[in-house]
Amino acid sequence: MEPEGEQERERLLHSQRLKAAVHYTVGCLCQEVAEDKGIQFSKQTIAAISEITFRQCEVFAKDLEMFARHGKRTVINSEDVKLLARRSNSLLRYITQKSEELALNNLEQKERKKKKSSTAKGKRTSDEQVEVMAESEDSNMA
Amino acid sequence: MMPRAIVVPPLPRGRCRMEKREESASGFRKETVNKILQLHFKDDKTRVSSDALLLMAEMLNVFVREASARGARQAQAEDLDRVDIEHVEKVLPQLLLDF
Repeated sequence: MEPEGEQERERLLHSQRLKAAVHYTVGCLCQEVAEDKGIQFSKQTIAAISEITFRQCEVFAKDLEMFARHGKRTVINSEDVKLLARRSNSLLRYITQKSEELALNNLEQKERKKKKSSTAKGKRTSDEQVEVMAESEDSNMA
Repeated sequence: MMPRAIVVPPLPRGRCRMEKREESASGFRKETVNKILQLHFKDDKTRVSSDALLLMAEMLNVFVREASARGARQAQAEDLDRVDIEHVEKVLPQLLLDF
């Protein structure tokens, strides 16, 4: 058996599994909309929306990668996603609000971790604390 | 054609519930979104931050909800009680332009 043929089949199986996962989630979401609006979706419709969504992911992925590369980064971040949502004002507002929610949540988690570590390790001198803060600041800049 | 506003659900008040919501309600899971995006990256080194993944999951949720809601609206405008492929076909161009 050719190793290349084997790799191709692996890729195909992998993408098929992902398509199945997408199809399942699309089915769940359509079910919610169906109940909301009191209407039914044919199976072909759900399959079609699933296919469209999967294809749209390719467009999203390539755009996100380009945005990150444009910012000289290899890690795609929230700003890249916001750029993706620019075509519709209401969509952009929604994504921006979600992004701010997440940022707030991250801050809260950091606060909780700091409190835990300070009570667990006992009191540090104020000088040490200032040093620790400065260090973490620098690592964010990199 | 005027760009249609995208109907989004009201945001939950108080603390961010996005991570919890993924488990209880329907919607795209973080790992799934990550794998799908990774499939199409040209560079092997490209990664997605945790926050960006959560935002992308929301994007996809909105995308699917929009596609199905607009299809439903089209079917209802034609006085039908079932959404078929042709209804999605009719709303697809505007949907893609809005995204």
